[in-house]
Parts: sequence; structure tokens; C-alpha cells
Amino acid sequence: MMVMILERVPPSLKGDLSRWLVEVTTGVYVGHASALVRDLLWDKCVRYVYRGRCYQLFRTNNEQGFEIRMHGDVGKAIVDFDGLQLMAFKDSRWLAFQQAELEAGSMKAQNDT
Amino acid sequence: MPAPKPPASEKRLIDSQKIIWGKQNLRELPKFRDGLSYLYVEYARIEVQDRSITVLNANGAADVPSAALGVLLLGPGTTVTHAAMKALADSGCSVLWVGEDGTRFYAGGVGESRSSRGLQQQVRLWSDPESHLQVVRRMYGLRFPERLPDHLTLRQIRGREGARVRDIYARASQESGVPWQGRSYKREQWDKADPVNRAISAGNACLHGLAHAAILSGGYSAALGFVHTGKQLSFVYDIADLYKAELVIPLAFESVADLPENIETRVRGKLRQAITSQRLLERMVADLHDLMGTQPEADVYEDDASRPGELWDPDGEITGGINHDGDDS
Repeated sequence: MMVMILERVPPSLKGDLSRWLVEVTTGVYVGHASALVRDLLWDKCVRYVYRGRCYQLFRTNNEQGFEIRMHGDVGKAIVDFDGLQLMAFKDSRWLAFQQAELEAGSMKAQNDT
Repeated sequence: MPAPKPPASEKRLIDSQKIIWGKQNLRELPKFRDGLSYLYVEYARIEVQDRSITVLNANGAADVPSAALGVLLLGPGTTVTHAAMKALADSGCSVLWVGEDGTRFYAGGVGESRSSRGLQQQVRLWSDPESHLQVVRRMYGLRFPERLPDHLTLRQIRGREGARVRDIYARASQESGVPWQGRSYKREQWDKADPVNRAISAGNACLHGLAHAAILSGGYSAALGFVHTGKQLSFVYDIADLYKAELVIPLAFESVADLPENIETRVRGKLRQAITSQRLLERMVADLHDLMGTQPEADVYEDDASRPGELWDPDGEITGGINHDGDDS
């Protein structure tokens, strides 16, 4: 099983994808394809996504049972924790954390001198 | 004046919130054997936000699927909030604090089990020398693919075990082409150990964490070991040793043969793959129940963890949590 999610992409790409996959709701596609076809569809998306974003999730034989790929999204990152994929968001709470870390760091530097 | 009754739709909403956000229902938690094995985190802050357990580090804010997670290993530079610890305990995720090398436990947490049935059985087997010996024999038996002859004494079995481990080292060294000078590490000087030894230690640390989580989730005590004895984590070493040599040693040599840098991370990655392909979590739980002679039965406190337990009586246990005032007549 494979899921692809497209955001802000040209209509032609979405139309093209619907030849292989079923569109469940806007921009969410589900289907089943061989590893080769899956990779080709992914390459196609990456190529024609322009300023939009695309994600691909598919079943694999690892501990989580799936793998995630994404392209064009600068606000997130896929972080690999020794083989466990988690999504890291660079959002407001993360910015607050970074800010606090910086302040703690500069305070420590002041105390050290 | 009585408070106005909320409209039906609102009431339904409140009820559904109760189901999802009420006390953690232990049945919702994936069983230890079906879940994710471990997550090692360092230099990060772990907190709760909108009911999610979030790891904040330089890469971003990552939500952790804690209900599915067996054990969370916290390395150096981690901060955990009180709310996060409570949420982790509620979702039955064991939390262990480990050193930079990942080799030392500083503390543990609670597992999913609320019943003491497993522990009572463990104590029964442990305190009788005859049954204790039987468990030790079964533990050694699990490590040898061929059946151990019954006439062997424990001393002879230990001799065979030594030879088995030596063979595994020699074979792994030969297959990977990495020379082996013997297991050695200085506990005070981690960086001085050779890469293979560091790789083995990092892999063992993960395995210890998993064994610890399996023991807690089955409701057993980590302190009452059968082969090992005398330390608070004796039973952890017992269980980890069943798989350690065949699992970790070949992986450690392989990883070093690939590249000697960044060895700890790569061993942990390889170990995760091996845990999945060998269905280690499932095996661990099955072996534990097998060794202790207990059936994997339903936890009687599953629905309500704060339900009062039984009172002991020579004629069998009686109901607790009620007043037995009338019984003295």
C-alpha cells in the first residue's frame, strides 16, 4: 500500500497521478504499486511539483512498517533516530525552545567569563 | 435551581472526550511485542504539548508515538518535564536514563502491568533451590540450538557456554575481517576502547533496555535474577544474555567493518533491523512467560488500574478494599 499527498501542485500532475492511484480527498492519493513504479511516481512528483510539496508513504519491512519521503517542505524534517523515522516540525514551539536554549547559553557564557 | 442540562449533542461530545481523554485505558496500548522497540534521544528537551509527547532538539519538534514505544532511552543533555514523565508512565513506556556510551542505567520506570501475579510466580521459582536450578537450566537451554544433555552439571554447562561465546567472537571476526583482541573496556575511559568493543557495548545497552522493558511489561522484578544474582538488574542481564551473543556480536563486527566512525549510531540502526526481522520483542515475551511458567493471561487490573487488590488469607485470597468489620464474630 502506498499513500501520496500533494499540496499546491499543477493540476496536470494530480491528473496524471490519478491514473495510478485513487484520490481519497483533495491531494491525498492511495493505491498499490511495485517498488519500481512507486519510485518512478515519486521522481515524477519531485520533478513537476514546482513550488508545492509532496509526500510519499509506503509499506516496508522495517520496525515501523512504513517509510516516509517528502519534498519541498522547509518547515519539517524527517529525523532518523537510529532507524526510526519521526517528523520534526520547525514551528512556534520549536522556535520558543531554540530561543530559550540561546538565552541559557549566553547566560552561561556570561557566568563563565 | 438545578444547573441546566447540556444539550444532547454537547453531552455526546463530553462522553466521547471521556473515552479518548479519560484515564489511559491499558487495552488501547499496543502490547509490548507489537510495538516499536526503542528510541534513543540525547541533547533534547522532552515535554508535553497538546497531549503529545514531543522531543525538541536542534532538528525541530518531533512527536513520539509513546503508546507504541517499548522503551525510551534518555542520553546525556536531556531534560524531561514532570508532565512528560506522567504521560509516558500512562502510556506504559519504560524510561531509562543512560550514559553517553549508552551503557549505564541511572533509573527505570513502570511498565504496563498493574498485576503482581508474575512477580509472585518469579519469587516462588526463585526461592526454591530445585525450581531455581530448573530455570537456570532452561535459560542455558535457550542459548543452544541443540538440546543440552540432562546429565550435564551446571559447571559443565557454563564451560560449554564459554566455548559457545568464544566461537561466536571468532566467527564474527573471521567473517568481517576485523581483528579481535578480546572483550575489554575501561569503564572510566570510554573513548579509549577499540571500535568493536564500543560497538558491542552500545548494542548491549539497547538490549538491556529492551529486556528491562519486557520484564516490567510482564510484571516481573528486574532484581531477582536466576543465572545472575546480587544486583538490582540481575534479571535484566539474565534475559539480555539469552540473545546477546548471537544478535549483537555479529552486528558489531559488521558495523566496524563498514566504517569505524560514528559506530554507536550505526550499531543501534542495525540492531533495530535485526530486532524486526527476528521478531525479538515477541520472542522475548514468549521466552519470559515460558521460563516463569506463567500463561500470558489478561491483566485483571487492565480496566481500572486503581482498583483495590486482594487480601492474603491462608485459605485463598479474599476481596480487598472493603471493611471486614463483621468477620470477627
